[in-house]
Amino acid sequence: MFRHTPLRYIALALLAAGALFQAATAGYFGLEILIEILILAMLVLALDMVAGFGGMVSLCHGALMGVGAYAFATFGGILGLTPLVSLVGAIALTGATAWVIGAVCARSHGIYFIMATLAFGQMAYSYVFQTPFFGGDDGMGGIERLDLTALGIDLTDSRSFALFCLGVLGLVYLATVAVLRSGLGRSLTGVMHSEQRMRALGLTVWRVKADVFGLSGMIAGLAGALSAMHIMYISPGLLDWTVSGEALVVVILGGLGTLVGPMIGAVALVVLKHELSAITPYWHLVVGLLLIGVVMSRANGIFGWIEAQIGARLDKRLNDITRPQPTEEPRDA
Amino acid sequence: MLETRNLDKSFGAVHVTRDVSFRLEKGERRVILGPNGAGKTTLFNLLAGELIPDSGAIMLAGEDVTSLPVASRARRGLSRSYQKNTLFDGLSVEENLGLAASIHTGFGTRLWGDSLSRPEVREIVEDVAAQVNLQPYLHARVSEVSYGVRRQLEVGVALATRPRVLLMDEPTSGVGPEMAGAFHALLAGLPRDLTILIIEHDMDLAFEVADSITVLNYGEVVFDGAPETARGSDLLKEIYLGSWEHA
Repeated sequence: MFRHTPLRYIALALLAAGALFQAATAGYFGLEILIEILILAMLVLALDMVAGFGGMVSLCHGALMGVGAYAFATFGGILGLTPLVSLVGAIALTGATAWVIGAVCARSHGIYFIMATLAFGQMAYSYVFQTPFFGGDDGMGGIERLDLTALGIDLTDSRSFALFCLGVLGLVYLATVAVLRSGLGRSLTGVMHSEQRMRALGLTVWRVKADVFGLSGMIAGLAGALSAMHIMYISPGLLDWTVSGEALVVVILGGLGTLVGPMIGAVALVVLKHELSAITPYWHLVVGLLLIGVVMSRANGIFGWIEAQIGARLDKRLNDITRPQPTEEPRDA
Repeated sequence: MLETRNLDKSFGAVHVTRDVSFRLEKGERRVILGPNGAGKTTLFNLLAGELIPDSGAIMLAGEDVTSLPVASRARRGLSRSYQKNTLFDGLSVEENLGLAASIHTGFGTRLWGDSLSRPEVREIVEDVAAQVNLQPYLHARVSEVSYGVRRQLEVGVALATRPRVLLMDEPTSGVGPEMAGAFHALLAGLPRDLTILIIEHDMDLAFEVADSITVLNYGEVVFDGAPETARGSDLLKEIYLGSWEHA
């Protein structure tokens, strides 16, 4: 069950403040990195929703993001729909695709679930790669961004687009929390703890898994559409399993089942990638060592480690402050 | 309310349930007795839908539910508790009850709104907490409460689905004599129109709460009758003392 703690609020505030500061002050290159982080954060929120709260470790979320990107590009570039309609269509199509994948894979668990989702993801990748309609390995270009000029926002400007992505990420976070706190989200947590018991209580387990996987797919599709708008070009590489693998690394690195942790993981991965790749082409080795360190430490990622170190102390201190102090009884003379 | 007709189940060459037939009337409390390996839990798994019988039928309130999955049977009013706790340890006692109640009321699959704050769910949680004496522990995490309280919660979670038939697999398993005594009172306090089938090793509890007793041995019914008859039965003594041999 997802719970906000004082430490999580603090982490969220720091992340938001850091992103706003970067959006306000960074140059073009800094804004590109920020947008990359924000889109990755959306994808890992989607993945954490199913993996951290439903035990569904998916290796097809990269492909779902790709479905969203290709759907957005197809609806706008080939069918001639407006970017807004294309965006809504892309989210809906990706959600429906994810629901079907979730429904099929819901009966498998553990490594079998991972392999089944990997198979779906690679099927999508192969199909797009070999289909001329989608541009094959050349990909698709000429993708337009949303037109918000009526609201006085020019999304062709990188700073405006970064702020737009930040706003969307905020809404995605709130929607994710709302889903996890709903009856559906609570049932999902119950399923992760004991499918057998939830069935015995009368719950149709596969349906709950499929529904949440579909919602998660909608977020991945939104991230894909934003990614397509960002680069204005997409290629089949977006659907490759390595994108899903990287998202999973980010979730584990940040802290599975915490929502905040994966967003911290997204910041850590993108910053490390850009900083280290300027120094060495072997930056993957550093990320790999970091991941091994996190896993071997038995902490739940970077944020899980922080929660274990200071979260409990912070909660206790706040409880001590907020708890009413006993008043001294007047003594009889 | 619940009827089995010639239930049979084998695992390979091992015949674990043989031609089991019995009938529970509404509000009846029946205790299933039998030594280890008699097929009691297998029978429960067949009734709950976790296993499908090789032959025979299970009728719930006149409806044939033999081929229905677990969740469908539960939605028709067949609930069960387990011999080993299957609780949600990371959640509070209240959330455990609320999860079951929200599934029963249909709020467990709603996308918007916290199901636990719904008046219909709150009413069930408070009612069941009172029935199984869990009010003092509602806000405690399951991992923080005693084993005895967890056993009470195991029954409470099953009750929070408002069942018509409750299957209880060794509710006093692992608890001391004092706690077992509390369970006697707990069972006595449950609504009289609730049909209950209990697997139990505690003879005192069995004879105290049962309207009828079924004894299983080697997967077949060897006794079916009133507790008073069972109490004096030489057959029952032989089975528990180990001198009874399967034909």
